[in-house]
Amino acid sequence: MIPRKLGYALSGFAWPVYALLYTPLALVAYYSLAPAPNMAGHSFHAYHVLLHDGAAFAALRLSLILALCSATSATALGTLLGYGLCRFRSRNARGVLAQLPSLIIYTPIIMPSLVFGISELIFFNFVHSVTGFLAAGLQTMLIAHITFEIPYVALTVFGRLSGLDQNLFEASHDLYADGLKSFLYLVIPVVQPAIIGGFLLGITLSIDDFTISFFTAGPGSVTLPIYIYSAIARKGISPEINALGTLMIGTIIVIALLHFFISRQRERTRQGVFPPPQQTKGAV
Amino acid sequence: MSPARTQAEVEGRRQRARLWTTSGPGLVWIMLFLLIPSAGLLAIAFFSADDYGNPVLPLSTQPFQQVAGFSLLGWDAGNIAIFLRSLQQAGIATLAAIVIAYPLVFFILSRPPAVRPLLLLFVILPSWTNQVVRTYAWLELLGPNAPLSWLAHSLHLLPPELGLAPGSLAVTSGLAYNYLPYMIVPLYASAEKLDWALVEAGRDLYAAGIKLFWHTVFPQTLPGLLSGVIFVAIPAFGDYVVPALLGGDKAMMIGSLISAQFIETPDWPYGAALTLIMLAFTGLGLVAFRIFSRKLGGTGETAI
Repeated sequence: MIPRKLGYALSGFAWPVYALLYTPLALVAYYSLAPAPNMAGHSFHAYHVLLHDGAAFAALRLSLILALCSATSATALGTLLGYGLCRFRSRNARGVLAQLPSLIIYTPIIMPSLVFGISELIFFNFVHSVTGFLAAGLQTMLIAHITFEIPYVALTVFGRLSGLDQNLFEASHDLYADGLKSFLYLVIPVVQPAIIGGFLLGITLSIDDFTISFFTAGPGSVTLPIYIYSAIARKGISPEINALGTLMIGTIIVIALLHFFISRQRERTRQGVFPPPQQTKGAV
Repeated sequence: MSPARTQAEVEGRRQRARLWTTSGPGLVWIMLFLLIPSAGLLAIAFFSADDYGNPVLPLSTQPFQQVAGFSLLGWDAGNIAIFLRSLQQAGIATLAAIVIAYPLVFFILSRPPAVRPLLLLFVILPSWTNQVVRTYAWLELLGPNAPLSWLAHSLHLLPPELGLAPGSLAVTSGLAYNYLPYMIVPLYASAEKLDWALVEAGRDLYAAGIKLFWHTVFPQTLPGLLSGVIFVAIPAFGDYVVPALLGGDKAMMIGSLISAQFIETPDWPYGAALTLIMLAFTGLGLVAFRIFSRKLGGTGETAI
C-alpha cells in the first residue's frame, strides 16, 4: 500500500501535528499551576481559589442542568422523529412536501451558530414583549439547545433503524403487536444504543456550545463557557481560568476515552448480533 | 373508484397520521423555534431602525446601504474590507486544513487497523473540548509572553511589545485548529475506501510522486475533500468566537461585525442585513463550488 519511505515521512509529519494539537491544551494545564502570590515554584493555588469561587460553581451547575434537561427532551423528540421518518415516510413520494422533513432536520445543522443565536435572540425578545412569556434566561437557552440537539439524535436513531431488517416490523405485526407495543418491545430495545449515543451527543453539543447560549442567555444565566469568556474579556486570562479550563479539558478527555474503550469492548462481545451502528458524528 | 384504490388511500392516510404523531412534535419544534425565528431575522433586514436600534416601519433599504458602507458620514470601505478579510481567513484556514489533513489521514491508514480508530479519536478529541477553552488556549501559545512570540521577537519579526495574538495569524491558526477535524473525518472516510489496485496500476505505468498521487489517489479522495472544504470553509467564514478572542480590532471578521449590531451598539436591521448578505455569500459560494467541483470531475454530491 504505502511505501516504507513515504511511511517514515508521514510519521515524521504526523507526530509533530499530534503534538501541536495538544500543545495549547497542555499550556492551559501548565499555566494553571502558577505559583501562589509571594511564593516560588508551582502550586495548586489556582485550584484552591477556584474551589471557593461561588460564581464558577453556579455556572457549572447551570451548564449541567442545561445539558441534562436539553439532552433528555431532545432525545425524546429526536427518537420519535427518527423512528417516524424511517418507518412511516412513504418511499415513492416526490415533490417539495416529501422533502420537507429532511430540509427541516438539516437546517439546525447547517445554519451558522451565530445566525442561529441571533434569530433566537430576536424571536424570544419579540415573544416576550408581546406575551410576557419566555424572558431571556434558562428557559430560552433550554429551548435553543433542544432545537439544535434534536437533529443529531434523530439522525443517529434513523441510521440505526435503517440498517435494520424491515421484515422484523412485519414479524411483530404478524404476532399481533400494535403500533405502541412494537415501538416499546421492538424499536426501543433495538435502537437503545443509538438513543444512548444520541443522548451523550446531545450533552456534548450542549456543553460545547458557546455562541447560541451567549445570545439566548439572560442577565442572570451564566454557563461555564460564558463565565470563562466574560472573565477573559474583563481581566484577561488568570490562573483560575486556566484551572477551570484544565478541569473541563480533562473531564472531556477522560469521558471520551472511557466511552471509546467501553463501546469497543461492547462491540467485540456483541459482534454478529446487530449490525454496527452508524457513525453519525462524522457524517454530518 | 375501485375498492382496492380506496383501501390504498385509507392505508396512505393512516400512514401519514402515524408519521405526524411520531415525527410531528420534533418537526414542529424545529419549525417553531428555528425556521420562524430565522425568517423573522431576515425580514427585519428590510425595516428601518429607531433611535434604540429596534426595527420599525416603514420598510426601507437603508440597512443594505449601511452594509455597502454608506452612512451619514459618506462612504467607507470598512465593511468591504471586513468581508474580504473573512473570505481570506476562511480560505487560508481551509487550505491549511487540507495540507495538514492529507498526510495525517494517510499516516493513520499506514498504521495497523486495530490502532486506527484510536489515532482518529486523538485528532478529533480537542474539538470536543469547549470552543471557548480551546480557542483561548491559543492565546497561551501565541500571546505576548508566550514562547512563540519570544521567538518572533528575537528574530525581529515582531516589535517586542506585541504578541502573535491578537492578530490575523492567530485567527487563521485558531480557525484551522477549530475546524481541522471536519476536514479529517470525511477525508478519512473516503481514503479508507481507496482502491489501491489503481495506485499499483499507476506505479506499473511508471508514475511516481506527485503525478501518481494526482492521477490515482486524489480523484478517489475528491468526494471526501469536497465535503471537508464545505464543512470547514462555511463555519470558518461566519465564526464568531475565534476572531472575538484571538483577533483584536485589526482582524475583525464578519461574525464580530454582526454580533456588534445586536450587543454593543444595537442596530437590528443593519445586523440582519449583514446576516442576509453573509448567508447569500455562503449560498453563492456553495453554488460556485458545486460547479467548480463538477468541472474537476467530482460528482458534486456531498453528505448533505
